Amino acid sequence: MRRGAVRRNVTAHAFFLPFLAVFVIGVIAPLVYAINLSLYQEKMIGGTVFTGLDNYTKAFKDELFHVGLGRVALFFAIQVPLMLILALLAALAIDSGRLRAPGVFRIGIFMPYAVPGVVAALMWGYLYGDRFGLAGEIGDLFHTELPDLLSEHWMLASIGNVVTWSYVGYNMLIFYAALRSIPEELYEAAEMDGAGAFRKAWSIKLPALRPALLMTTTFSVIGTFQLFNEPSILQQLAPAVITTNYTPNMYAYNLAFDGRQFNYSAAIAVLLGLVTVLVAYAVQLVTTRRERML
Amino acid sequence: MHRISAGRGVARALTATTAAALALSLAACGGGSGGGSKDDGKKADPAAVQGALDKPAEITFWTWVPNIDKTVALFEKKHPNVKVHVTNVGQSKDQYTKLTTALKAGNGAPDVAQIEYFALPQFALTKSLVNLADYGAADLKDKFAASAWSQVNVAGGIYGVPQDTGPMAMFYRKDVLEKLGATPPKTWEEFTALAKKVHDADPNNYVTYVDPGDAGTSNSMVWDFGGKPYTVSGTTDVTVNLKDDAGAKAYANTWGPLIKDKLVDSTGSWNDEWWKSMAAGKYALWMAGAWAPAVLEKNIPQAKGQWAVAPMPGGVSAENGGSSVAVTTQAKNKEASVAFAEWLNSDPEAVKSLNSEVGLFPATKALLEDPGFRGADVPYFPGQKPNEVFADMSKAVRPEWQYLPFQVYANSVFKDTVGQALQPGGDLTGALGSWQDRIKSYGKEQGFTIK
Repeated sequence: MRRGAVRRNVTAHAFFLPFLAVFVIGVIAPLVYAINLSLYQEKMIGGTVFTGLDNYTKAFKDELFHVGLGRVALFFAIQVPLMLILALLAALAIDSGRLRAPGVFRIGIFMPYAVPGVVAALMWGYLYGDRFGLAGEIGDLFHTELPDLLSEHWMLASIGNVVTWSYVGYNMLIFYAALRSIPEELYEAAEMDGAGAFRKAWSIKLPALRPALLMTTTFSVIGTFQLFNEPSILQQLAPAVITTNYTPNMYAYNLAFDGRQFNYSAAIAVLLGLVTVLVAYAVQLVTTRRERML
Repeated sequence: MHRISAGRGVARALTATTAAALALSLAACGGGSGGGSKDDGKKADPAAVQGALDKPAEITFWTWVPNIDKTVALFEKKHPNVKVHVTNVGQSKDQYTKLTTALKAGNGAPDVAQIEYFALPQFALTKSLVNLADYGAADLKDKFAASAWSQVNVAGGIYGVPQDTGPMAMFYRKDVLEKLGATPPKTWEEFTALAKKVHDADPNNYVTYVDPGDAGTSNSMVWDFGGKPYTVSGTTDVTVNLKDDAGAKAYANTWGPLIKDKLVDSTGSWNDEWWKSMAAGKYALWMAGAWAPAVLEKNIPQAKGQWAVAPMPGGVSAENGGSSVAVTTQAKNKEASVAFAEWLNSDPEAVKSLNSEVGLFPATKALLEDPGFRGADVPYFPGQKPNEVFADMSKAVRPEWQYLPFQVYANSVFKDTVGQALQPGGDLTGALGSWQDRIKSYGKEQGFTIK
């Protein structure tokens, strides 16, 4: 008996090992490495010294870091709900069975996700241009001047537009998949009870979407707090608007690769990771509590 | 509702790991904390440099200069035993990022790399580059223009061989000035007057532009106005004086009011919109290094014949851009690498090729003074002798400019500070002060003695 159990255990571990190896190499090792890196300070003059938590105390007082963090938080608060509502409406519309060619809509809305983020930012950058870009031409057409979409006041909204354009389709697909997994019987039962299309959407579809909503929100938390590609590309067009600390990730990048402050940059990255985990956890808490209340 | 809680479990696991992993992958890119240069215990031997090219050797060379393989092919023909692998890993900052990472990791850096003058002190002081003086490079001094040679001298060593230079000149649109009945400004007062004239004639047009993200050009402007904001003595003492430096002040006093009155445009440059503006004649002037003709021809060939070249206002000049070729401490065959870098940039045949086939503006005296070079026809500028103007500007470069040993970082935060003032409503003098503050605090953190 015992030998059999051991053998079973060995087999189980053998199956588990490949995953464990990749997990350790790909996730745990870089994490440990970055945390270790963040405890030192390397100077151009004077070499590397162990400084304990100094980098973290510095980050807590670093206004440049806070400004970037505040900016992505604002972005999260406005762009993510907008994007998810749009994705939700699209998924409900496609699922309703009332569209003539739902496949075309599905692919059409999803298509931008297939465009690499850098290309999307470049493309929108051209469109935003107020001289030779689409925005400029529309302005000329109506003999008015459109607001400069790449100016300080509009930049965050312009970036939000690029991100929304890219990710609505992706989130729509997750919602749509969740909707497809609702058993037909539920709808039939609801119809028997006299429920119309809106009633079905409200009482069956939306509750069933909650896990999908949690997942998309979580991904959005991660994506938003790590915002990097879009502002980096648009920086070429509006260098004074997008500063080196525009988002925390850009700040970390600038510290590491322009300033060679790899250690402080690692500390910023660790803190950013923690903030991301905290926000994602808070999102889960809120969702779970609602679920219990229902 | 079992399905829902299962979904939540998955989501939770994803949250914790993905979020953290994504955040930290960035930090992981930073590379090893140790590494850097390793002394291989061998003594530098200047005598072995020349002979090194007769023995079999392989050299990797990072450069982003287009068409440089033509000159390298010449080298390989002359020295068939040496194989040079030319790799373009990205331009300027992109290459420095990769180079920094490779040097930090302890391997993966090329033997030879193109490094712009402004970035040279940073790599030299972090002991990433071979001091070419140990290999007898001091003998090359007389071959190069003074403005080029002084820029490869860092902290008492020689850390690169000058490849090209970028003495600033003034490019102007003949058609635009003709229409206004104006001539290219000879002084900065005339420049200011022209700015009003251009903008009054058509509010969409400007005398020129400022780029809030372009630290290099602003540094060159301060240099042109006689500034010496950065002084480095020894390897650890750095003085930063952008606030009170006379040249920086003169720069701010000339450009500040123009920006305030919206007489110069504020725009990002080198992007599609900017090139379209350049082609359309939106800017009457462009002050840029002598490398500009090649770039103009490549990006706006349709404007051929519309641009002309004149000396800078005031008749003095500054360097704007330009690169050296350096040997990294990771080079496997240092002697051959040094010999290659020297040949590429000082052999008469090589420098001719670099100029005529690659399109680089020369750094060697011999070519700058060569009547054939000075009088050469440049198809983009029909009926003119632009090289004559450039060569004169090269001589007129103000001496004794120095870059910071961490200019790459300083330039990167330019847009956060001075860049903010290079747009309407900005306070240029104040912004130079805040740039100075950022530079100083960084320098202190890096262990320099900052004054």
